Amino acid sequence: MKKQSVLTIAAAGVCSMSLLLSACGGSGDSAGSADAKGGSDTMVSVFNPEPANPLIPSMTNEVGGGNPIDILFSKLVRFDSKGKPRNEIAKEIKANADNTQYTVTIKDGWKFSDGTPVTSQSFTKAWSWASNVNNKQLGSGFFSNIKGYGDLQKEGVAGDAQLAGLKVVDDKTFTVDLSEPSSTFPIQVGYTAFAPLPESFYKDTKAFGQKPVTVGPYKFKSWEHNKALTLVKDTNYKGGVVVKNGGVEFRAYTDPTAAYRDVQSGHLDVLDTVPTSARKTFQSDSSVQAINEPGSVIQMFTIPTYMKHFGEDQEGKLRRRAISMAIDRDLIIKKVLSGTGVEVHDFTSPAIPGYAKNLPGSDVLKYNPKKAKELWAEADKISPWTQADTFKMAYNADGSHKETYDAVANSIKNTLNINAAGNPLPTFNEFRSNVQGRKFTDSAFRSGWQPDYPSPESYLKSNFDSSAADGNGSNDGDYKNPEFDQLMVKAASAKSLDEANKIYQQSEEILFKDLPAVPLYYMNSNGVAGKDVKGFSFTWKNTPDYASLSK
Amino acid sequence: MGKYLLRRILQMIPVVLGTTLLIYALVFALPGDPVAAMFGDKPVNQAVAAQIRSEYNLDKPFIVQYVLFLKNALTLNFGNTFAGQPVVSVIGRAFPVTVKLALMAFVFEGVFGVIFGIIGGLTKGKWSDNVILVLSLLLISVPTFVTGFILQYLFGVKWHVLPATAGANPGFMDLLMPAVVLGSVSMASIIRLTRTEITSNISEDYVRTARAKGMSNRQVILRHVLRNSLIPVVTYLGADIGGLMGGAMITERIFNIQGVGNTLFQAILRGEGTLVVSIVTILVMIFVICSLVVDMLYAVLDPRIRYA
Repeated sequence: MKKQSVLTIAAAGVCSMSLLLSACGGSGDSAGSADAKGGSDTMVSVFNPEPANPLIPSMTNEVGGGNPIDILFSKLVRFDSKGKPRNEIAKEIKANADNTQYTVTIKDGWKFSDGTPVTSQSFTKAWSWASNVNNKQLGSGFFSNIKGYGDLQKEGVAGDAQLAGLKVVDDKTFTVDLSEPSSTFPIQVGYTAFAPLPESFYKDTKAFGQKPVTVGPYKFKSWEHNKALTLVKDTNYKGGVVVKNGGVEFRAYTDPTAAYRDVQSGHLDVLDTVPTSARKTFQSDSSVQAINEPGSVIQMFTIPTYMKHFGEDQEGKLRRRAISMAIDRDLIIKKVLSGTGVEVHDFTSPAIPGYAKNLPGSDVLKYNPKKAKELWAEADKISPWTQADTFKMAYNADGSHKETYDAVANSIKNTLNINAAGNPLPTFNEFRSNVQGRKFTDSAFRSGWQPDYPSPESYLKSNFDSSAADGNGSNDGDYKNPEFDQLMVKAASAKSLDEANKIYQQSEEILFKDLPAVPLYYMNSNGVAGKDVKGFSFTWKNTPDYASLSK
Repeated sequence: MGKYLLRRILQMIPVVLGTTLLIYALVFALPGDPVAAMFGDKPVNQAVAAQIRSEYNLDKPFIVQYVLFLKNALTLNFGNTFAGQPVVSVIGRAFPVTVKLALMAFVFEGVFGVIFGIIGGLTKGKWSDNVILVLSLLLISVPTFVTGFILQYLFGVKWHVLPATAGANPGFMDLLMPAVVLGSVSMASIIRLTRTEITSNISEDYVRTARAKGMSNRQVILRHVLRNSLIPVVTYLGADIGGLMGGAMITERIFNIQGVGNTLFQAILRGEGTLVVSIVTILVMIFVICSLVVDMLYAVLDPRIRYA
């Protein structure tokens, strides 16, 4: 998913920013305590920004469309509330010896809401269609590791061209050839873009985008643009999600503050974010029930390797560590964030399988003014930092980041006795243009990450691998470390997810030394629900567990 | 009269052309790349981005984009939004709600503004005048969003008298509070305006003459004082219709009304030039037509004014 999104939406209520958050993964098994007799047919209403795109899985990369699409379309796997993958449509996803080929078998009996069966082709054709450049899919990049993807990016490619790496064996079996080994492929296919599509989709994709034929715990009922998108429980659903309500009404809001008022007055059931205005009060507000728990979003700021004094040499490493240790994160979480964040211990998040708290070297993320001063002085011996230099951190002013970055700057200023300041840009759009154009040569910049799938790989490889640098990915600081890259390759060829996670943890030890980005805090999942709502909980990806809601 | 009308209508053409060009240039000048922003901070698939740019003509120079827009607009084809919906249908959904809201606010400010203004003007210096003075000054000095949040909290959340937000298909009760909020500042201005006009007109010579002729007080007030006092009020109200529609942005956000203001705001953030220009063009035309209607109304209120 996109970096930064959550805060922007939540806090500023600037809803175009909702473009930034993609949704992925599946609804979890929730242990919500809906009572057996009441509630199973009631509709629940939830806050949702108006979907920015048609309801086509591979076209959607923001929460507004991602939330409904996720419960409309089952994928090969789904994720439980802890982020653990479970087979959903897949019976088995089997890797070959070096994780470059997967054989997928799907279960019998799955049908789309128009009655047609789910077959191997429902997947292979959908993935090929999404990869085809002519179809202009924003999520096409998700298929880039499948063999033949490059051929579908060329001009003049046929409309029905198929990915060379996908081979249908029979109605229930197909194989996937990857360009590079990947141990996390069986997790990646849980992302919304990998949903199967029915034959009817290709006849009229436009009509489908307004009124999709689905294959999930819910089916489509109606979509009144800018008003509400209504889904109802699909009684033919065969998967593992337990649905405790009769349907979900996604109400269009542009400003979470208005939605908060509606929850308070009983007109809306669930709001999955907290407006800045209520940040201090929502947990003690007696008119709502509140959740505030660690989520999967990490907030950092990237110090680009092309920034003066902060290159990949000895001086840069010393300064990065000094900056990190000069920040009093606890104070910022308490005073500025009012406890809506948690202290940071690594580069992933506590909501993800594979997270570990006390990795060697992680003390660089702890406030240590004495050590910070020593490191900074040592760096000054290599090349002095003068009074004319200012350590700047860029952020988008349309989110609510000003307070945080003012506090971070103050902390650095007071500890190291240097000039430090926030560097606000008016809009997220402009901010990202500067990042993408590598314009921040004298300034660090805000970065954050919400994972596409629950694996450390989604955080680490996307943000710090050399292959994602130089505009080819989200490694916007152009950090390159062959040792780190090697571990990414090793993890990708690992025999099991547990083994891969161990390797990812090793790779983080390198990051603690190099600090390509400075982690600040894990952002909490938080939100409010009406007093009469039951089963209000959040999934690993910070969205409400829609299926478990009831009244 | 007919000639005058024709001339005024012809004048609209350069006004609309000029404003659309200006707005188009401003949107074009906004920093940031709307297509790259669609990918969020995902790596941008350049091949896909190029296709999207050519679909929306974003790869062409500014003036070509503008001419293409005009050409399409003449055939009433305003194109699609980035979300793939026809601009016409987006506007078709947004305007009715805002028109409803603006009309309610308009009636509210017109009726209450004039009534309280008359009361104030006729009871100059008495306690009722003072109370109205203080209240209207208060409304003028407090920004709309403060009034909005306070009323929303009190009536919507605390006392449950009115819905806190307008909801999907707002009816009269749903829009009552937003309309009052939207119209409150203008209402206060109308109170001040009416009161001042009345107090000054009431001491004019022609009023004394009318009274000397033996006209009843009621007739003097209604036929002479009020009629003359309302000319500037009508001007104000006419100019305010456009203001209410365009200025509903803040009110619409507070009460989650999916109208013109909200749509425009989001279109600007997304850098959707065609949508912004289309909406603004319609707003400009409403402004121009309203001011024409106001000028026509002058002739009705003031027999001395004749158009030729």
